[in-house]
Amino acid sequence: MVRRAADPPHRILYGVIELHRLTKRYGDALAVDDLSFKVGPGHVTGFLGPNGAGKSTTLRLILGLDAPASGQALINGRPYTSLSRPMHEVGALLDAHAVHGGRSAYNHLLCLARTNDIGAARVTEVLEQVGLAGVGRKRVGGFSLGMKQRLGIAAALLGDPGVLMFDEPVNGLDPDGVRWIRGLMRSLAAEGRTILLSSHLTSEMALTAERIVIIGRGKLVAEAAVAELTAAYPSLEDAYMALTASSVQFGAAR
Amino acid sequence: MNAVVNVLASEWIKLRSVRSTYLIVVLGVSAVLLGYALAVMAAGMYDDAPPQQRLSARIADLEEVVVIVPQLCMGILGTQAITSEYATGLIRTSLTIVPRRWPILAAKSTVVGALGLITGATAVFGTYAVTRLVLDDRFSGAYTGAFADRLPLLIAISVSVPVFALLGLGLGALLRSSAGAIAIIVGLVYVIPMIIGNIPEPWSERLGSVMIGALPREITGDTITTSVYGSLLPPAAAAAVLASYAALPLLATTLLMRRRNA
Repeated sequence: MVRRAADPPHRILYGVIELHRLTKRYGDALAVDDLSFKVGPGHVTGFLGPNGAGKSTTLRLILGLDAPASGQALINGRPYTSLSRPMHEVGALLDAHAVHGGRSAYNHLLCLARTNDIGAARVTEVLEQVGLAGVGRKRVGGFSLGMKQRLGIAAALLGDPGVLMFDEPVNGLDPDGVRWIRGLMRSLAAEGRTILLSSHLTSEMALTAERIVIIGRGKLVAEAAVAELTAAYPSLEDAYMALTASSVQFGAAR
Repeated sequence: MNAVVNVLASEWIKLRSVRSTYLIVVLGVSAVLLGYALAVMAAGMYDDAPPQQRLSARIADLEEVVVIVPQLCMGILGTQAITSEYATGLIRTSLTIVPRRWPILAAKSTVVGALGLITGATAVFGTYAVTRLVLDDRFSGAYTGAFADRLPLLIAISVSVPVFALLGLGLGALLRSSAGAIAIIVGLVYVIPMIIGNIPEPWSERLGSVMIGALPREITGDTITTSVYGSLLPPAAAAAVLASYAALPLLATTLLMRRRNA
């Protein structure tokens, strides 16, 4: 279901993700350290940071999978865990491998959809939207990583949510898939959705995102428009390298 | 309430959409074939025995013997219902889309419990039917008694099967690993009763009385002295112990699940 610009939106998609002094510890280690930022609707917000910076942990905290030590993450002003049918408000892709290989793509999506009162027709619709309609009845075990990414994106879209979060969705996609996902992210944002896109690929971010949040060692490093960063530095990659230089934990000397 | 029904529908789709479910149900029901084979063997031995020996010949209740097969199968089904989600990471998606979490366990309990009961009853009543057909009035009419007299025991043995399914689910959710959960289940069926059978009285009888294998007979009050288990519990207490095997791990994991990081 691709909504054309001329179609009036059938409901208001306006959504906001807000983090207020979010902190998460694992033992003595601070995975997320007093992190505050806000993600607004209508554009793609890129979420960047070195390995181990706390990006995935932050997404898990927003989704209520982990409990924060202090602070809070709010979606449209409410904690995620208070949502009764969350798929209609938030869609998330955390790990494309998180599927049962013995189940068909269609059945995988159907069992997710049913929990939030979403019908089988919508499952068929999102399978078409991500280009998996032809393999919907095939078992997921035989899918490539790129196909699993598409399936994960389909799952996130099931509830037609206003807020979408994707963790490294470009991994494993072929050039055609990368271009497709870039277009999809932009069109979803153009529909007024709020999109948080975590990735290591700064060049891809430069093409897709309008705003950037960079974290390092669990702390906020920068929150800015891509245009501001590319004006101050030769490229987004250079900006990223300069800003995260002090917070890289796992890397070769540079 | 509606939310719980939705999760129930989802869990039923999960169960029926993987091949291993069908395999394990067929394997569980195949206990009837084992029962049939044992009955044919017993009938042959009985017919070959001299008349004097026939008079004193006894036969074990074959439903009780073969029920170990659906018990183990459904224990594995229950375990897999949750550990396969932990192994693949699907559990994070499941918990994300149902943030209250407990409806997932409640729904899984319902579907694996129901499938366990159907599988168990099919295996137990099927074994009774074929054994009765094969044995006829052999073994002093062990299998020619009124069906109604036998019914309570058959029901109690059948119910032990979904108990294994729920025990597997609870242990799987607690340990998040199928290896650990299945090891405990196999231990409960085979290893621990064997150990208990060899410890000194009165502990052998006492501990034997709370083994799952002992409970159906204690529930129906239909105890026999030749049992490898004990028979100390009155029916109500035995029923409570059987329910505890199913409920305690599930309750523990429901309480833990609320706070555990996924």
